[in-house]
Amino acid sequence: MMGLQEEEFQMPNFKQLLEEKDSEIMRLKTLLTKYVPKSELDQMSNSHPSTKIAASTATLESPENLCSQLSKEDVARYSRQLILPDFGVGGQQKLKKASVLIVGAGGLGCPAAIYLAAAGVGTIGVVDYDSVELSNLHRQILHKEHGVGTPKSLSIILAVSSLNSSVKCVSHHVLLKSNNAEEVISQYDIIIDATDNVASRYLLNDACVLLKKPLISGSALRFEGQLTVYNFDGGPCYRCIHPSPPPPETVTNCSDGGVLGVVPGTIGCLQALEAIKIAAGLGSSFSGKLLLFDGKEGSFRKITLRSKQKTCSLCGDNPVISKLIDYEQFCGASPTDKTETLHLLDDCSRLTCQEYKQLKEDSSPHLLIDVRPPEEVAICRLPNSVNVPFSKVEDPIEVEKIRNYIQKLDNKNKQVFFICRRGNNSQRAVQLLEPKLADLNVILRDIRGGIQAWAEEVDTAFPIY
Amino acid sequence: MSSSFRTLMSSGVKVKLLFFAKARELVGVTETGLVVPNGLYTQKKLLSIIVETFPVLCSIQGNFIVALNEECMDQSQSIELKEGDQLAVIPPLSGG
Repeated sequence: MMGLQEEEFQMPNFKQLLEEKDSEIMRLKTLLTKYVPKSELDQMSNSHPSTKIAASTATLESPENLCSQLSKEDVARYSRQLILPDFGVGGQQKLKKASVLIVGAGGLGCPAAIYLAAAGVGTIGVVDYDSVELSNLHRQILHKEHGVGTPKSLSIILAVSSLNSSVKCVSHHVLLKSNNAEEVISQYDIIIDATDNVASRYLLNDACVLLKKPLISGSALRFEGQLTVYNFDGGPCYRCIHPSPPPPETVTNCSDGGVLGVVPGTIGCLQALEAIKIAAGLGSSFSGKLLLFDGKEGSFRKITLRSKQKTCSLCGDNPVISKLIDYEQFCGASPTDKTETLHLLDDCSRLTCQEYKQLKEDSSPHLLIDVRPPEEVAICRLPNSVNVPFSKVEDPIEVEKIRNYIQKLDNKNKQVFFICRRGNNSQRAVQLLEPKLADLNVILRDIRGGIQAWAEEVDTAFPIY
Repeated sequence: MSSSFRTLMSSGVKVKLLFFAKARELVGVTETGLVVPNGLYTQKKLLSIIVETFPVLCSIQGNFIVALNEECMDQSQSIELKEGDQLAVIPPLSGG
């Protein structure tokens, strides 16, 4: 405190002295640029750093630059944020020099990218290996209908450039993995985790700690969103909070769990805000904090996380992780949000969609049980199917219902088929129900690939979701 | 809820449990009341009470954080719960 008071006391003298020196330098500069040829001036500035400062000061002579380092167009474009007391010209200039990498060009990455571009971040990089699908457009709002099938990273770059052509945009059309992550990340100042899977989250965290980059992490599912800034300002990293990944079978992705587009939209905007604050030197509100957003409830909660852990295997006092590892192995899941195809039943307990189609045409008596949730059944269903949601197949009431259906089948060779969305839960349902229906002399089988395979192989007019 | 736990509840404090993300999906509600015996609690003890009360959370045990009144506890810390305290069960979300 003492030191600060002394500095404040001496400030008026320094200011006066500085002004005197400045005008003297300015006068010398004018003389220099007037009488010394440019080639010689360049040489002088190369050999003598102080001349370089002087020479660059000389360029401030133009009326435009007397205002600020920003162009007239920049001033007009960013005027509403330039007059913000905590941001101002200084903040804008820092933003212009900053580079931000957005990993994931989806529901989080789109709003983050567009707001960073609008605000005037100098360089924006976008990483994504995937291509645009129709089912992305409700939340990944920078992609266009005519862009379905094109690389997402490119699609974002096009949108960003059309909003602000002065932003340098870089598209990285790759799947970020241990062998390429550091090369890409090292080119940027700030990293935004806008990915959709556990393996990528650990990869980004580890790379950011190893390369000393702040990581602005966002996630969303259904009506909920989360936001934290890791590895910044002495705060914890992702591993300090979550040392081990969740079992893969407990992780729900947007494709299976659903998501309302504006929820990742909200979190993506907040990620952009944190990136802008960090780039402009304003710090972050979410280092060591976790924002919980509940869109259904309309609530924002800010949780104080535990601090950086001395025992953290990555950023602690005795780290055991000194380079990137195999994240697919570590998490037991691939670095994508695609649902994996399971093979739980023997071939004889499975039926292809074509075989089922034939069986229907032969009018062979059977029972078809659709185990999808009622919300999905409401989208599309096969005729004459009955719905028993997978979450309830072991419920005694539902088992009794199934037994009644089976007993009504009038042939000896009673056949029961299970169908779901992609052919995983239908196999699980067979496994769960076989012991419970063993006394009924019935054959339980599942339909391979589910409703999706039916739409692809049998009835192309059938909707896919 | 286990019977051994239920018997302990005659004299205790009523706290509010909030579930987020996967915990919400597994338990099937966003919040519920819970009476816990009086006494000192560490983070570990709170975790085991929550999982004992809601065994469905077993599958994600070790993969969620518990915040007391919006603040995560340090592992060594012991606290006394008060009437109306909020305990949030927060697994990470990974979608986007």
